[in-house]
Amino acid sequence: MASKHSTTARGAAARRTPSQQQGLEYRAILDAAVDAIVVVDHRGTIQEFSKAAQKTFGYEREEVLGRNVRELMPEPFRSEHDGYMDRYMRTGEARIIGIGREVVARRKDGSVFPCDLAVGRVQGMEPPRFIGFIRDITTRKSDQEQLLRSETELRLAQELANLGNYVIHPDAGDDDYFSPQLRRILGVSPDDQHRVTREEFLERWVHPSDRQRVDSGFARMDAGAAPLDVEYQVVLPDGTAKHLHHLGQAMFDGNGKLLKYVGTIHDVTDRRRAEDEARVLQDRLTHFSRLSTMGEMAAGLAHEINQPLSAIATYARACQRLISLPEPELGDVVGALEQINAQALRAGEVIRRLRNFVKNREVKREPVDCARLLEELRTLAETDARAHNIRLRLDLQEPLPTVYADPIQLQQVILNLVRNAIDAMVDAPEDRREVVLTTLAAPDGEVEFTVADHGTGLAPEATEHLFNPFFTTKASGTGLGLAISRSIVRAHGGRLWHTANDDCGVRFHFTLPAAPAAATGD
Amino acid sequence: MIKEQKPTVFVVDDDAAVRDSLRLLLKSVGLPVEVFESAQDFLDAERDDRPGCLVLDIRMPGMSGLELQQKLNERHSILPIIFITGHGDVPMAVEAMQAGAVDFIQKPFRDQDLLDRINQALDKDAGSRRMLAERNMIRKRLESLTPREREVLDLVVAGKANKVIAGDLNLSQRTVEIHRARVMEKMEAHSLAHLVRMVLEVERPEA
Repeated sequence: MASKHSTTARGAAARRTPSQQQGLEYRAILDAAVDAIVVVDHRGTIQEFSKAAQKTFGYEREEVLGRNVRELMPEPFRSEHDGYMDRYMRTGEARIIGIGREVVARRKDGSVFPCDLAVGRVQGMEPPRFIGFIRDITTRKSDQEQLLRSETELRLAQELANLGNYVIHPDAGDDDYFSPQLRRILGVSPDDQHRVTREEFLERWVHPSDRQRVDSGFARMDAGAAPLDVEYQVVLPDGTAKHLHHLGQAMFDGNGKLLKYVGTIHDVTDRRRAEDEARVLQDRLTHFSRLSTMGEMAAGLAHEINQPLSAIATYARACQRLISLPEPELGDVVGALEQINAQALRAGEVIRRLRNFVKNREVKREPVDCARLLEELRTLAETDARAHNIRLRLDLQEPLPTVYADPIQLQQVILNLVRNAIDAMVDAPEDRREVVLTTLAAPDGEVEFTVADHGTGLAPEATEHLFNPFFTTKASGTGLGLAISRSIVRAHGGRLWHTANDDCGVRFHFTLPAAPAAATGD
Repeated sequence: MIKEQKPTVFVVDDDAAVRDSLRLLLKSVGLPVEVFESAQDFLDAERDDRPGCLVLDIRMPGMSGLELQQKLNERHSILPIIFITGHGDVPMAVEAMQAGAVDFIQKPFRDQDLLDRINQALDKDAGSRRMLAERNMIRKRLESLTPREREVLDLVVAGKANKVIAGDLNLSQRTVEIHRARVMEKMEAHSLAHLVRMVLEVERPEA
């Protein structure tokens, strides 16, 4: 059957003239071509329209034959096309013919698509004819665009985040990759393509004081123990200092052979700087609050220093008089001189504690022995209490644990609470004028400090705003004491709250986590 | 009647060093001194109303100096009080003076200033005690008068002549003269003026 059919076809072909045969071949080429083929005359009138063209443009062949080719173009090309053809016919100057370029075309439904266009002139015919080959490149185009877009977006994202990434191959062979933003962060020119060794990396881009730490991070990453996650500083050759956050990971093949490192380096300089500034501000505010607490206690402190001075002056004069007696009792004189010495030291001690407390110093956490801390604090607190004719009672649970804290800030919190308690009792009757400071080691490893007064208590509206900065019920208060006390306690990992006292007044409580036993060593 | 006692300086101050230095200073000038560390201790002590003066710290925990002064006033104590104050205690010092303190002195003080004030206070105390003794004596003499003699005395002090008194009391002028002479004798008055002064002295409200 197949053979009979082919014989018949061969028979028909044999009967065709060469020109007839050429016409058939021409049609077959037209219809088989993958690209759309459109044949036009010198006016642009469509003479032939291939099957692929019908598919590409959505027109039937019969629909478009005799219409102008410009109808296959979107504006503004459609209006301009006649002009192009005229110019070519007049001058022979070709823009597309024999060249080919990327253009846009218009389908029957009006939609526009990108395409590659190649146009050839049919030689030896006058007026001339032209054959156009059109390839729809929509898919190729959009892939390209997408790739371009995601590259752009990645670059933009890296710029915005100030974050760069890299891929480094330990064995030379594959190219290493440093993203443009990474080059910018590290100050490497785009042309600098030389491979960077581990040693060179540390040398160039890690501050000497951080090198050891970063290097051990690298070692852990190499061992596959942990991904790299390290923050360090670098001073670039141009003098700029940066804080970098470096995340990295080593990739291994199935046999555990190291293939490559991938990682990101995040320039966190601005954030660190902002954090530093915020911390400086917070420290200043804390110091200011401490100064104003001291200011409120000034009268009591002056009294506390006046006492030993007064005793010293009196002892000295007593000595003079005792010595000038006809039969001086030297025992009294010696005792007085000893007292003069002791009282001078006592005054000095008050001043030392005062200076310690108000000094503007770096915040430093260390293991703090609560018993010793409260002893330091006692002088200042008792002074203040005595100046207001109030008793201060310390009810301390022995032995007191060690906490990990900044000792001065801790004193500040307690002193602030004692001050508030004293102020709450200015008008309290004699038998209630007592502030009680208690400590309690909770079983869960926390230490709880409580300052209780028997004062007027808190009005409901005061309770609501108690911890708001600048809220105060005192005529000369700054309103910062409690707000700052709470932020200090929170920064130490504790809580600060208050409860009503059983009979009258308020209790302020705060907790601090006890220091782990290992950190206790003195 | 009242035996002359050497006056004692009582010191009440809660600060051990201040208290002890004052004790030594007063000892060095030969003044008997007793020190107390709280107002309550002083109140509880048996002092038998001995002469002297009180050097009192105005600020103390528990009972303050001012409160002790108030308690002593309630007990009609005549012990002169010198307050020791810190700086900035002026309002309290004013209050103390209004409540009858003789003086106040600010810490730290010159020893001589304090000693001068103590001596003045002791003089004042001695004077008060003399006056008290005298009044007691006058009262005793007044108590020795008969009711009739007392009537005559009151009218004499009121400035009435014997004749008028005789009329008022419906007595003879001669009888009035005899009563009057008895009164002068019992009251140990040197003159009419002396008699009047003595009566006015005890009738004046107590200082």
